[in-house]
Amino acid sequence: MKNKVVEVKNLVKNYGAKDVQTKALKGIDLVIYQNDFIAVMGPSGSGKTTLLNILSTIDKPSLGAVILDERDITRISNKELSKLRRDKIGFIFQDYNLLDTMTLEDNIALPLSLNGVSAKECMERTKELGSLFGLTDHLKKYPYQLSGGQKQRGAACRALITNPEIIFADEPTGALDSKSGRELLDCLKRINEEGRATILMVTHDSFSASYAKDVYILSDGMIKCRISRGAERKEFYDRIIDVQTSMGGDFLCE
Amino acid sequence: MRMMSLALMNFKNSFRNYLSLVISLSFTILIFFNFQNIIYSDGLAVLGAKNKEYTETVVQVISFVLVCFMFFFIWYSTNVFLTKRKKEIGIYVFMGLSNQKIGRLYAIETALTGVSALIFGIFSGVLTAGLFQMILFALSDIAVEISFQFRIKPVFITSGVYLAVYFIFVLKGYINIVRSSVLSMLLGTKQNEYVKQNVAILFVKAMAGTVVLGTGFYLAVRESGNGVNIMGNLFLAVVFVVIGVYLLFGGLIPFVFQGLAKNKAFLYGKERCLWVNSVVFRMKKNYRTYAMACILILCSVSALATGFAMKNRYENVKIFESVYTFQVLSSWPDLGEEVRGIIGENTEITYSAEIPIIALKEDTVAANENFGTYALVAYSDLKKLAENVGLAFDFQEPEQGQVVRASHLSLLSLITDSSHISVTIGGKVYQQTEEITVPYMGYLQDKVSFYVVNDEEFKDLVPLGQKLYTYNYRMEDLNVFETVREELRRFREDVISDYYMGIVSMDPSKDTLEWIKISYSLCIFMFMVFILASGSIMFMKLYNDSFEEKERFLVLRKIGMSHKVLQKSIAAELGAAYGLPFAVMAVSSYFSVHALELMMKADLRIINVVSVLTVSGIFLLCYILSVLTYQRNVGVSENSLL
Repeated sequence: MKNKVVEVKNLVKNYGAKDVQTKALKGIDLVIYQNDFIAVMGPSGSGKTTLLNILSTIDKPSLGAVILDERDITRISNKELSKLRRDKIGFIFQDYNLLDTMTLEDNIALPLSLNGVSAKECMERTKELGSLFGLTDHLKKYPYQLSGGQKQRGAACRALITNPEIIFADEPTGALDSKSGRELLDCLKRINEEGRATILMVTHDSFSASYAKDVYILSDGMIKCRISRGAERKEFYDRIIDVQTSMGGDFLCE
Repeated sequence: MRMMSLALMNFKNSFRNYLSLVISLSFTILIFFNFQNIIYSDGLAVLGAKNKEYTETVVQVISFVLVCFMFFFIWYSTNVFLTKRKKEIGIYVFMGLSNQKIGRLYAIETALTGVSALIFGIFSGVLTAGLFQMILFALSDIAVEISFQFRIKPVFITSGVYLAVYFIFVLKGYINIVRSSVLSMLLGTKQNEYVKQNVAILFVKAMAGTVVLGTGFYLAVRESGNGVNIMGNLFLAVVFVVIGVYLLFGGLIPFVFQGLAKNKAFLYGKERCLWVNSVVFRMKKNYRTYAMACILILCSVSALATGFAMKNRYENVKIFESVYTFQVLSSWPDLGEEVRGIIGENTEITYSAEIPIIALKEDTVAANENFGTYALVAYSDLKKLAENVGLAFDFQEPEQGQVVRASHLSLLSLITDSSHISVTIGGKVYQQTEEITVPYMGYLQDKVSFYVVNDEEFKDLVPLGQKLYTYNYRMEDLNVFETVREELRRFREDVISDYYMGIVSMDPSKDTLEWIKISYSLCIFMFMVFILASGSIMFMKLYNDSFEEKERFLVLRKIGMSHKVLQKSIAAELGAAYGLPFAVMAVSSYFSVHALELMMKADLRIINVVSVLTVSGIFLLCYILSVLTYQRNVGVSENSLL
């Protein structure tokens, strides 16, 4: 029996005033187990970003619950939320969000060092993750000296350094060329397969989604279908494309 | 015309953004106007022509300093404005506007800002002029009726100077935009992405800065005899200290911080990873501002010390001047009766006293502090003088090998125990047992350092200098002062041609020193102006920085950094921003005030401590305000979700 990491129950999010309401999420139920690698796909306006924002505690839902670490994170105080974000969640953003005032090494070590972990351990962990993501030669460089791919792998290291229970990745390959994108996805897949990370990735790109174990397709604020990977990534990719094609331009399920 | 209306629209829409610029510029104008207004107001007339002239000179000197300050301030603020606006107006490139047109748009907008600041500044200047003068004369202890006056000349001068300086920088901005590439305009504020500076260059700058600043300090405190040398040294010291401070902030401090950022064992503790890196990044962009703030507060402390030194001098001179009306100095031993006769013919003599002194040759005395000219008096002679004049006399006769120093009043002297001071006279070491400030020798005591020795010793020391006789008189009727002075001068020329005779006369009707009192108050104003200026420059700089940091803090909050951690990091970073200029100033002020002590022969250590404490108070206030606004601007308040 796998451990539940996140449980989403009947998540609803409405925007706007009562008379002109836009329903971004219309009741999402989702369970993420330890060591899952989930991709959430969907056309623009389907609610992907809203879902991710709520899961990653950046936004609050109108209704429903998100259980993480046995607590409903939609109901806890800001102070506890900060702590939760710091200790249990890792983030990878589309535009890397590395701090340009410090070296890659400092960027990666930052969350750990601010958590009060000893300098020695910070350095060891940074080196280890750096080598895992092929960044050893770039650790002393500043973000402006790195390529997009290197930056994004650095951001992944920063997300992983605190050993979070779950990593939320928002279009992580969105700003990368295909080679850099592949390198990043390979890294994410590897750490997931090694049992070191549970990942939820939001993407609109079928190729990126094919690196996940399960793909949820979101449309009009609801989960329309779930596709699970077999043995082959290539075959999984074809299936995602098939579903996408069959759903048509606006991703409607059959 | 369409360009004009576009500029007007921009100006109106973003007036709130310009408000800080307008306010700070008007403040500069207000101060400058008030100083100019003093010259043209009636207030100074009551002081008499001579005093008015001196005060005007002082005000003009201060105005010159203010113009320099205005120049740098406008330079700085228009620069900030230009970087901010460049990106915004850069977008007009896509609308097909040429660089020249964008430049013109910028120039019109900046001119509008400048003119609003001028109007606002002059208006508030006119309103506050009366108050300013009232405070000035009250501080100076001069009773003057202040009425509301409006003079057009100071308005013209202020506007002229300000607009001339402002025009230079509008033109500079225009040329800058015309010559800019489209890319640099669009990147606007994001030009300085390079964080670290070349260590070798930093090291050279650090070394050069240390040497230059050290030389400046050395020159400031070097005791090199006469006043001309001291002035020369002081001028060089100022130049060296200014360059040194710039090099310190541009070299040594970033060098140290880059070193700290490299030392990961240090860096990965507490919030240092955040703020130390941020300081390294900011220092590259801000070092000129920090250096400028540092120099400004150094000026402010020096201004206050100068003010107090002047007040001190004024009071000393007043006290010592008022003891006698005439003091005659001569090598002729029996002049007393004749001088008394001359004065006695015209008026009653309130009191008089005669006393022989030994004017020591310069090379015969070695004291640990240089007081200039030295003279000796015998204990019993001085006692007799005190009885005649009616001054308190309550110290014991010095023994062999002991002296008592009769000095002028020094302001808040820190030397409470003078028993360990020794002085060498003619190769023999004398122990100073006491220091007294009763004006026995009147005006002479302010100019000459007197040592009281016992009677035996006095006789023995005669060969070390020239024995002179002083005849001191205080007249009853001061109206005949001029007549008596003339007669004394005639007496000197006609009768005493073979002997040396000097006359010191204190004209009671001429208060030629009132200007010193005004200068003192002006110095206090300058102190406040400089502190406020440096405080507001620092505040403005950090206020602008906070907007640039907004994105960075959003990232930090997104990755789960708690508000508390970020608040601590901000507090530490701004602490460094305020603390470093303050620390450099505190050290430098010791030397600058010491230089003033040398020049004005006054004890200003208490003033140094008090002014540094005042600056620390005001800086603390600015720091707290900066931290609070910074936290608000970057969104680190407890109420936000992120």
